[in-house]
Amino acid sequence: MNDLLAVLWVARKDLLHETRSKATTVATLFFSAVTLVVLAFAIGQDESLLRGAATGALWVALAFAGVISAAQSYQADLEDGAFDHLLTTPVPRAAVYVGKLLANWLFMLLLGLLMLPVTFVLYGAAWPTAWPWLLATLALGTLGFALIAVFYAGLTANLRARESLLPVLMFPIVVPILLASVRASGALVGSDDLALAQGWLRLLVGFDLVYAVLCTAIYHFVVEE
Amino acid sequence: MMDASERLRRPAWLRAWGVALVPLFLAAAYLGLVWSPQDVNQGNLIRIMYAHVSVAWIGFVAVGLTALFGALFLWRGKRRDDVLAVASGEMALLFSALTIIGGMTYSRPTLNTFWTWDAKLTLTALMVALLVGYFIVRALIDDPVRRGRVSAVVAIIVAASLPFNYLAAEWFRTLHPSRAIALDGSGVTMAPEMLFTLLFNTVVAGLVYAWFMVDRARLGRIEAQLEAERAERELGSVPSGGVVRV
Repeated sequence: MNDLLAVLWVARKDLLHETRSKATTVATLFFSAVTLVVLAFAIGQDESLLRGAATGALWVALAFAGVISAAQSYQADLEDGAFDHLLTTPVPRAAVYVGKLLANWLFMLLLGLLMLPVTFVLYGAAWPTAWPWLLATLALGTLGFALIAVFYAGLTANLRARESLLPVLMFPIVVPILLASVRASGALVGSDDLALAQGWLRLLVGFDLVYAVLCTAIYHFVVEE
Repeated sequence: MMDASERLRRPAWLRAWGVALVPLFLAAAYLGLVWSPQDVNQGNLIRIMYAHVSVAWIGFVAVGLTALFGALFLWRGKRRDDVLAVASGEMALLFSALTIIGGMTYSRPTLNTFWTWDAKLTLTALMVALLVGYFIVRALIDDPVRRGRVSAVVAIIVAASLPFNYLAAEWFRTLHPSRAIALDGSGVTMAPEMLFTLLFNTVVAGLVYAWFMVDRARLGRIEAQLEAERAERELGSVPSGGVVRV
């Protein structure tokens, strides 16, 4: 019960910090929008190509933004040694992880919801009839991404060259998340193929479950001192 | 205090093992290159498979053992486990790099391309990237205990990601049917001579891996000792119990 409260307080602290500073919001919002535009330029003017690439572009933009948001959430804590204070509080380290995870997941989910219509407009894709499943893909995909991003951002927070190190370490791990999310949303947007999308969603659920348990269990080895 | 050359000398049993590997390796090569029959479809090209598949299998075992030794280090905190994890990790990196080279050698004549998005090849490429990340992290942390713990965590996460990466790559491929066939003979019935050759090659590859790993771990222990002695000298007084005993 107390641990659950601690989780909520850590999440609240991170979200409150973000609503007041708005540093990450501004950076990631514009960054992902710019990524979408740049990718559209790279793909060219062929409308059917653009439509086919819509979900892929959305997830690439979200993935890059997610790296920034996870790194920022530790960066703010590390200033003035606030993170050490956080670690000295008598709660399990796992509570800190889950709290940060919650904040980052909510943030990415919100960002995804905002970027969804932008993608549909820029890439000329049609809104799928099974849209609740698209939202489920967004939720599960961003959760899996946040699980790994928050974990590795904690691991690299104290290392040299952390900005370049974080994507190098985490992107090979999140390949199945990206693939499954892109394929599931692509199946929904492109062809309304619900059965295919659900197959990929199962992979997402499995990934999320395994890493939720694993990361929570070994997080305290990552942030000691 | 041991003499430096005494310390560096390879024990007799390890030397014997190393010498025994040479005829074993030659026998495996002979079986693969001369003794085993030609394949119905691939002819002599099947002979690449023996070296390629055995190295790939051992590479995956090596990654699993790296994570296992890492987990042991987290559990018991003995420096010896960390040393073994690194030794296994280095061999895993070498074997997966060899797997990619072997895979490209094999797929150029059979599939007429150096690279296919075959699930196993994709998985191996990701594995190389993940192992490189493991060593980057190790290089960035100076404190041996913290280095061991953080890299153990990375190894565990990496090993857990392999089944997901494989599933995703496999499903990804089935959506885009390529000309790739089951390269390792799964679903294809193999002649008994072929199967024997493959298993023999795998055993030899495993022995080669184990020899290098044990020898690397031996060097790792010396490194750890040296590191501990340096730390003691910097502290001035030498604690009698020794900070890190291996």
